[in-house]
Amino acid sequence: MTVVEVLFCLLGLMAVGSAALVALSSHVVHCALWLVVTLGAVAGMYLLLAAEFVAWVQVLIYVGAVVVLLLFTLMLTRAPIGALPDLDGPGRLVSAGVAAVTAAVLVTSFAVSFRGARLSIHAEDVGTASALGTRLFDSWVLPFEVVSLLLLAALVGAIALSRHRVSR
Amino acid sequence: MTLVLLIVVPALAAAATLVAGHRSRRLVQVLGCGPAAVSWVLALVLAAQHWGSSAASTVVADPIETGGVPITPALAVDQLTASMLVLATTVALLVQVYSVAFMATDPRYPSYTALVSLFTSAMALVVAADDLFVLLIGWEVMGVCSYFLISHYWEGSPARAGAVRAFLMTRLGDLGLLFGIFVVGDAAGTYRISGVIDASLSGRVTGGQATAAALLILCGAIGKSAQFPLHSWLPDAMPGPTPISALIHAATMVAAGVYLVARLLPLFALSTVAMGVLAGIAVITMIGAACFAFAAEDLKRVLAWSTVSQLAYMFAALSLGGYGPAVLQLLAHGAFKALLFLAAGSVIKATRRQRLVELGGLRSSMPLTFVTMSVGLAALAGVPPFVGFFAKDAVIGFAMEQVSDGSVRAWFVLVATLATAVLTAAYATRVWLLVFLGTTAERDADAPPPGEPSPLMTGPLVLLAVVTTVGGVAVLRPGFLDVAAEPFDPAVLMLSLAAIAVGSLTSYLVWRRGSGRDPAELLGSVRPALERGLFFDPIVVGTVVRVVQRGSRTVAATEAAVVAPYVRGTDAAMQLTGRGLRWAHAGNVSRYLVAVVIGAVGLAVLVGVVQR
Amino acid sequence: MPVLFPLVVSSLLFAIGTYIVLARRHAILILMGVELMLNAVNLNLVTFDAYWHDVLDTGQSLTLFVIAVAAAEIGLGLAIVLLVFRTHQTIAVDELRELADRDQPPAVGGATT
Repeated sequence: MTVVEVLFCLLGLMAVGSAALVALSSHVVHCALWLVVTLGAVAGMYLLLAAEFVAWVQVLIYVGAVVVLLLFTLMLTRAPIGALPDLDGPGRLVSAGVAAVTAAVLVTSFAVSFRGARLSIHAEDVGTASALGTRLFDSWVLPFEVVSLLLLAALVGAIALSRHRVSR
Repeated sequence: MTLVLLIVVPALAAAATLVAGHRSRRLVQVLGCGPAAVSWVLALVLAAQHWGSSAASTVVADPIETGGVPITPALAVDQLTASMLVLATTVALLVQVYSVAFMATDPRYPSYTALVSLFTSAMALVVAADDLFVLLIGWEVMGVCSYFLISHYWEGSPARAGAVRAFLMTRLGDLGLLFGIFVVGDAAGTYRISGVIDASLSGRVTGGQATAAALLILCGAIGKSAQFPLHSWLPDAMPGPTPISALIHAATMVAAGVYLVARLLPLFALSTVAMGVLAGIAVITMIGAACFAFAAEDLKRVLAWSTVSQLAYMFAALSLGGYGPAVLQLLAHGAFKALLFLAAGSVIKATRRQRLVELGGLRSSMPLTFVTMSVGLAALAGVPPFVGFFAKDAVIGFAMEQVSDGSVRAWFVLVATLATAVLTAAYATRVWLLVFLGTTAERDADAPPPGEPSPLMTGPLVLLAVVTTVGGVAVLRPGFLDVAAEPFDPAVLMLSLAAIAVGSLTSYLVWRRGSGRDPAELLGSVRPALERGLFFDPIVVGTVVRVVQRGSRTVAATEAAVVAPYVRGTDAAMQLTGRGLRWAHAGNVSRYLVAVVIGAVGLAVLVGVVQR
Repeated sequence: MPVLFPLVVSSLLFAIGTYIVLARRHAILILMGVELMLNAVNLNLVTFDAYWHDVLDTGQSLTLFVIAVAAAEIGLGLAIVLLVFRTHQTIAVDELRELADRDQPPAVGGATT
């Protein structure tokens, strides 16, 4: 067991554990905060997989923007402080069953396909932000431009929706 | 080329009249009479070429492949065709001229003129056709023009009913004609009329095929020519304008049935059954229609029944194989019946009356009409030296010849023709006495002043009267339809003159004794039944029509009881399915998502399992 | 490390995300579950990019695009949630049943039950 492996296992446990807490917690704001932990753990895992730029983007956008947005919306929708008993719907067991089946299918298919494979991070893979950048504007420039259009559309849409006056 | 022009010019005139006719009355009059005159001249040219000889000149286009027997657009002119063309175009031209005055105040004059022009074209096509389907086309177009023209005054229900009745009865006959054409084509291997005649004469057509074909074609002929049992439409077509009755229902269209049988006579001659049926129908129609004519109250109805009776004369001659006498009667009848109808039109226009008992004493106020109509009635009765005499005697003479050869059929025909000659003379005299002689009937307050109507109407009358008078001369030319000798056989002469004398004297005596009484009162209590055509129509309605209606009601009931529930059942099933599916749309988003995820996971598992 | 480690983690994250989406009533929590699922996908992408030493850096590039799309999506999603809150005064998804197929038209505005 190398250091990377140990670190990865710890981060993995952290991510899954906090995700489980997001699923099970009865305080809405606590869920959002546990989500932050999950996202941070995932960013750590990215670092261990030699994807530094992605890791920092993850922290910046997900933790920095998305979760903040979630918290703001919780505030604007008057999310109650304190435990809410009825946060889970009546289909809890069915959903748990479906989730379990999903996990089983995924894990089984991965285990069957990649049983003995090992991930090897080469030295030259580390520190690849500049290479990724070059690659992004070289092979992926068209999706890049389209995504920027998408963001513009989302921006306009969000503004249009939030300016909508509700007639009483 | 002349022939094609003759057919096409009136058709183009019809189209032009329909398109531009509403502009001015003068234009319609020109478009009506001009092309008719052109066709008339062309017909005379063709007649000059073909009158003496019996050779035919043909115009043929490429055959149309049908997968079986091909249809050839072909036209042919021979002596018969040329004569019919002259008759048709002459009467058409005279009717157009006459109509200028007769329809002077009619608002639908353009459509009327267009239909008459189209009809002329179609009639020319029928008599000039050398292919049975070309003939059928002309046949049907003639029928269409006839229906529209009968219902010209469609504000009144008799006109509408008359047109529908003409349509139904003639179309019924045409169904038989169509199938007859198919049988002929199959038997002779060609639809060309010349080909069919060749095949019949050379024996390629068997007796059975000939019988089937002849009987079916006969259906069409008796429908078009108003013979028993499809006879009652012709008197009911009289609500149409009188010039139309002259053109279509006297001189040309109803003669097309006779023309068809005359053309295909070699085929008919192969089947004794068909000839016998034809003779039977002719005999029944001849006598029946003459009785109805004698009993009828309305002037035009008398003339209509008279037409039916005279057509039966032609069919009787044909049933004995007498091509010459039949054609002569056809041509002669065309001339004098057109004359009679046009003269009747003058009388009706001048007095606004149609019933015989309301007319009278017009001899002094309408002298020209009196003279011309008298000529026509004399020709109808068969008085020498008018052309009707030659025709009638030709028929009687031919029958007598066949009787002496020992034919039973000919004996029946002979007796019938003599009996009809008596009746014809009787009703002709009756009309003459009641319309022109006797005391003048009172005039309505709004009737026009007594006197001849316009010279445009009396001119055609005079022309036709001249033709009727001198037409007999044409018969005496040797080689014309091979009938030169017949009329002067002394026995025939005696019999026919005797018949005329008996008939006319009977009418005259009844009229004289009763000082102006209707000779038809001789019939006494039988008269109402005869006036109604011996209740033929109610019988048909009671039997055939009732059965058909009951059948259709059964079909409709079956459809409602058996088929409709299936349709409604489908609807109910759909509704049930929809309601079931709607249950899934409860509005709960979570439930929707669960279903989606389950489906996706299931598909993934399935793919994994299948890939293995 | 064995490549199974990241893959199992991503599978578990995805399953937990699915559970959150299906089981929770609060609209914003559902959106959090969606984010979790997207993260799982991203982790998968990055893993395979490292495993196969992709020349085109497909995995990492696509991850960046997914992050961008997720950001756009959450922006709009939250705007919609706000609008729903303003009209219905509730964002419990099982109380929003106006799209159900009914014989009579649903009540306009206000919450049902």
